[in-house]
Amino acid sequence: MKSKIFLIPLLCLSMLCSGCGDNAVITSQTQQTEISLSWWGNDTRNEYTIEAVKRFEKLHPEIKVICKYSEWSGYQARSNVQMVSNTEADVMQINYAWIQQYSPDGYGYYDISTLSDYIDLSNFSEEELSFGMQNGRLNAVPIALNTQSLYINKTVYEQYGLDIPKTWEDIFNASRVMKGEVYPLAMTAKSAWFYITAYAEQRVGKQFMTMDGRLNFSAQDIQIMLEFYCRLINEKVMPQVEYFDRLLIDTGEYAGSVAWLSDASNYCNNAVQNGYEFVVADYPVNETARTGDGWYAKPATMYAISKNTDYPEESALLLDFLLNSPEMAELQGVEKGIPISRKARSYLEENNMLTGMQYNAFLKMNEYSDRLAVVSPYFENTDLIDAFKEACNAVLYNKSDSKEKSVELYNTFNDILS
Amino acid sequence: MSVRKNINDNNRRIKKLKLSMIFGYTIIIILITLFISAMTIRKTDTVLKSKVSEMTSELNVQMKMNINSYLSKMETTGTLIFASEEVYTYDATDENIDKYEMLNTEKIISDTLFNLCIMENFVDFGIVYSNNHIVGKISNGTTELFGDNLYKDLSSAINRQRTHDGWATGYNNNFKRIYYVKRVNENAILVTSFYTTELEDVFEHPDGMGDMTIRLAEENNVIIYSSEEDETGKMLLDVISDRISGNLSGTLMDDEYLVTVNTCGDNWKVISSVPTEIILKEKNEVQLYIIIVGIITVIIAVSLSVMLSLKISDPVNNMVNVLDEKAHIDLLTGILNKRSFEEYTENAIKSAGESDKYALILLDVDNFKGVNDTLGHEYGDKVLANIGNILRSVFRREDFLGRIGGDEFCVFLNLTSVSEDECISFAKKKCEQLCSAFHNNYTGDDGTYKISASVGIAFYKVHADTFSELYKCADKALYNSKRKGKDTYTIYTEVLK
Repeated sequence: MKSKIFLIPLLCLSMLCSGCGDNAVITSQTQQTEISLSWWGNDTRNEYTIEAVKRFEKLHPEIKVICKYSEWSGYQARSNVQMVSNTEADVMQINYAWIQQYSPDGYGYYDISTLSDYIDLSNFSEEELSFGMQNGRLNAVPIALNTQSLYINKTVYEQYGLDIPKTWEDIFNASRVMKGEVYPLAMTAKSAWFYITAYAEQRVGKQFMTMDGRLNFSAQDIQIMLEFYCRLINEKVMPQVEYFDRLLIDTGEYAGSVAWLSDASNYCNNAVQNGYEFVVADYPVNETARTGDGWYAKPATMYAISKNTDYPEESALLLDFLLNSPEMAELQGVEKGIPISRKARSYLEENNMLTGMQYNAFLKMNEYSDRLAVVSPYFENTDLIDAFKEACNAVLYNKSDSKEKSVELYNTFNDILS
Repeated sequence: MSVRKNINDNNRRIKKLKLSMIFGYTIIIILITLFISAMTIRKTDTVLKSKVSEMTSELNVQMKMNINSYLSKMETTGTLIFASEEVYTYDATDENIDKYEMLNTEKIISDTLFNLCIMENFVDFGIVYSNNHIVGKISNGTTELFGDNLYKDLSSAINRQRTHDGWATGYNNNFKRIYYVKRVNENAILVTSFYTTELEDVFEHPDGMGDMTIRLAEENNVIIYSSEEDETGKMLLDVISDRISGNLSGTLMDDEYLVTVNTCGDNWKVISSVPTEIILKEKNEVQLYIIIVGIITVIIAVSLSVMLSLKISDPVNNMVNVLDEKAHIDLLTGILNKRSFEEYTENAIKSAGESDKYALILLDVDNFKGVNDTLGHEYGDKVLANIGNILRSVFRREDFLGRIGGDEFCVFLNLTSVSEDECISFAKKKCEQLCSAFHNNYTGDDGTYKISASVGIAFYKVHADTFSELYKCADKALYNSKRKGKDTYTIYTEVLK
């Protein structure tokens, strides 16, 4: 027995030396839940959103966010492909119109109200959330309210001895004074669509379409739109939308612009830095209309969660971060407009970030909010805008006359909306 | 005194030897363990460095493949514009084209471009014409960056003659985007770009390699992307660039850095580096483990050696003791033999101090020859053996007892503990006890032979200072006892009278 005791240390030593047998080596890697986030926007938005995602991942190291982003045009097409092929991102920035398009029964997106344990929805009023409600299900949460606004380079206008335009004719008058040296206005196709529709609606006294997407305009009404666009181009009020170059606002070559409220800083800040004074002008009117008539407001952009997501809780955490967190509020500021989320807006107020063109445009929108109609979800349909643009060019380049083209366009619009 | 003292001396020597052996053995074990540990650490170091180099190299190759694959995907997407003849033949600088036709054609081209790029995170995906006219998506960031030189400067990025394309970044030290430019026709180039931050996913590496810095650098060592954000746009540090200088692909590890480089498309380089000390942090853990194992080995080995030494030395001790006794002892009587007695006595005298007192007692068995002749040698031996017992019973442990001849015995009496005045009386008393013991044992009344002893006594210092002199004195005294008729004792002093 005694001699066996001597074997114990020997055995221990040999085990120690041999690594105590065949121990498996286990190396663990951080297991992350992978979700995706998609948005559209310009460089500024891309950069701060990517930074925000990094901060979110730091707060939630168990979640990895794959970013998918693009400019508006590309994003719309990509989003369509993804929605149709069920490959959409887990969290999506969506356009107000898409709720109707992709979720007519309310089941096209995740019902966010079921994730209220993760998203603080108390920062939004029922009215605000109603923009994202579809068939009793909360399909999306609005980020900010948006409208098309007029940004006028007061410095350039004053150089030509002009006041800030108030009527449609003031713009044409400005063009005559500027003699083609400077465009009084410039805008993208989408903004021109809103601008021209507002003009036509004031002229005919009715809305372009009903809320449920039925065309309210006649061919004659559409002819007014076509001719107005051609007049704007021919009288050098604005360049053709295809040739719109935002950077010319910075240099004063465009003395004004129509753009989303959410784009106010993006459009004006460089010019302001170049020494120009910009103001948010009143919505233009004719002799009979009131300021704001014919203009629309809508949620700027909204966030939705994919109905197919495998990770609704993680997606909801990300959504809450994007909507309500001070980190996102700090990075985003008023880039998407004045946030609806009370928590985000409080952060901006406390940090004196509710300033500048964006805020001025917001105040202007609030000033006439009772006259601004909620835009129909069908109004921004790209096919409508493309068809209108094509018809305008045909008339503009004398390939067709406005009457003939307006009838054709009337039928095209009805086809698209049917 | 006597034999036991000698054995104790031997035991002390053996114990000393044993301790020396254990000490020596311990030193040897420590040295061997140190040697093995050092070799193991050295080997571990080499293996660890080699493995880490290998793994880093493989990781870097993977990164190179990732970036090549990513760039290739971007190039392929761009190349798809050549699937549509309308796209690559259109020339926006041609003033003869009807404006309306131009708008329609550009709309088609624009739609084609959008359709091609929708699934990737392109920042730019458009065609730039030599008059800087743009069709498709060219971001404001890009138009602001290049301004009026948009076409001219982006065209200069085309550096591959075969495919007429190329990659570029860092224009005006702006590394936010990476551009791919491909000639479409003599007046048009395709411009695509993506944010440099997209490379974070391309260069995503395992958790365990978190200390590693991964960079994508141009041929001239300007960093396009780095996992250390503040490095982007700067020149590669000399400590890194010196190590990869002239290498298109390879790994180098020295005391400061592990650096690995691979060249990817457009002669860009994927460079991974990590300070060696971070890698060797792992080695230090292994080193500690080896040292602990070494210490445990030494402790166990020394413990075992002590135990084994004890196990072995006890029987050796006993055997040595036995042999020692046999070498010094008269086997018949169990007391010292002549040689040992003389040696011990001489040693005792040599080492004697001022206060040491001794007496030498010589004893001769009277009539012993008659015993042998009458009762036989076997009986004679028994008698001699018994005399050993008698001597042991009469004298003390500190006295030396020896048999110096056939029937002659000697006692070196230690009187150190006896006072000066009592030495003679003490010696006399011992001699009387001795003679008396002989009387008691061999009276001859029971038919055995009557044996007596004649004894002579000489005192150290009193009668002589050396053993030989003392012996002579004691012998004379013994002779005197014989002459007086035997069975008596005589002190040498009486002989002198």
